[in-house]
Amino acid sequence: MENLMIEASRSSPTIRFDAEKRLLSIRGESYPENAAAFYTPVFAWLKTFLGHLEPAASVRVDLEILYLNSSSTKVMLNFLDLLDQAAQAGTRIVVNWHYDPENEAVLECGQDFSEELHALTFALVETPQEST
Amino acid sequence: MNHLDLVRLQEELSAQGILMSFSGPFSHSIIEELGVAVKHYLESAQVARSALMDVFAIYIEQAQNVRNYIGRWEQDPEQARLSRSGIVVVAREGERYVVSSGNLVDRADIPPLVAHLERVRALDKAGLKVLYWQQMRQPLNDRGGAGLGLIEMARKATVPLEYALSAVDEQYAFFSLRVVI
Repeated sequence: MENLMIEASRSSPTIRFDAEKRLLSIRGESYPENAAAFYTPVFAWLKTFLGHLEPAASVRVDLEILYLNSSSTKVMLNFLDLLDQAAQAGTRIVVNWHYDPENEAVLECGQDFSEELHALTFALVETPQEST
Repeated sequence: MNHLDLVRLQEELSAQGILMSFSGPFSHSIIEELGVAVKHYLESAQVARSALMDVFAIYIEQAQNVRNYIGRWEQDPEQARLSRSGIVVVAREGERYVVSSGNLVDRADIPPLVAHLERVRALDKAGLKVLYWQQMRQPLNDRGGAGLGLIEMARKATVPLEYALSAVDEQYAFFSLRVVI
């Protein structure tokens, strides 16, 4: 299966989904003109990927989100729901939600998501502070 | 427009505490550019990261709401007035930041908009969170909208959302929204 690599734009994140390493990452800001359209290929890739996993495979997902607009937040919940369903079916899934403690909205968003997810492991991970 | 008009316009903007404003046909790239400008301005003013991101988020939600609404009529030359009617403003009032926006609305769209705003205005932070998660579980509409924008803004705002409707003619009114952070 091909990897999915999408470079960041000003209003959309970097996406690096590595099928072989089973390592998925989304980093950056997300407020594209049409979130549903932007994430369509991402969902298509994820569904194929999850459908082809060996039983009891493990997947690591790193989300380092700096900003989600409201429609991207909804899309992100759908993305996490798909992973949660796979976890319920036996895939071992760890989602690391990286947050800057100075950006409270990102931490709160991660806390909100964690309440909605049941089968996957959802970890809130503080990003190291840049020295200024 | 002569130079004196520009001076007066700048004085007016400055008197109202306006840091940034855009009025005219919105494009996604204009929204992005102004968003970067808003962030840079707040960074240079040494606004704390969380407050900066709240102002940015509320700016993006309002600008995208305006664009999504007036963008429906972009291809219709008869409705050019509506598609050019958007404005978004970031201002400072004392210690607070205020993001406002406005656009013409078709009168037929007013009752559901007002009903939604009044429902949001009536809720406290806990109630807003419940409504937010109810809406989160609804699908995106065909324009990619989530129906979450006003609820999200109300969750971040320090006072209830304020709005006004002014009569324009038989078909349109001008809707304006004011969010204090």
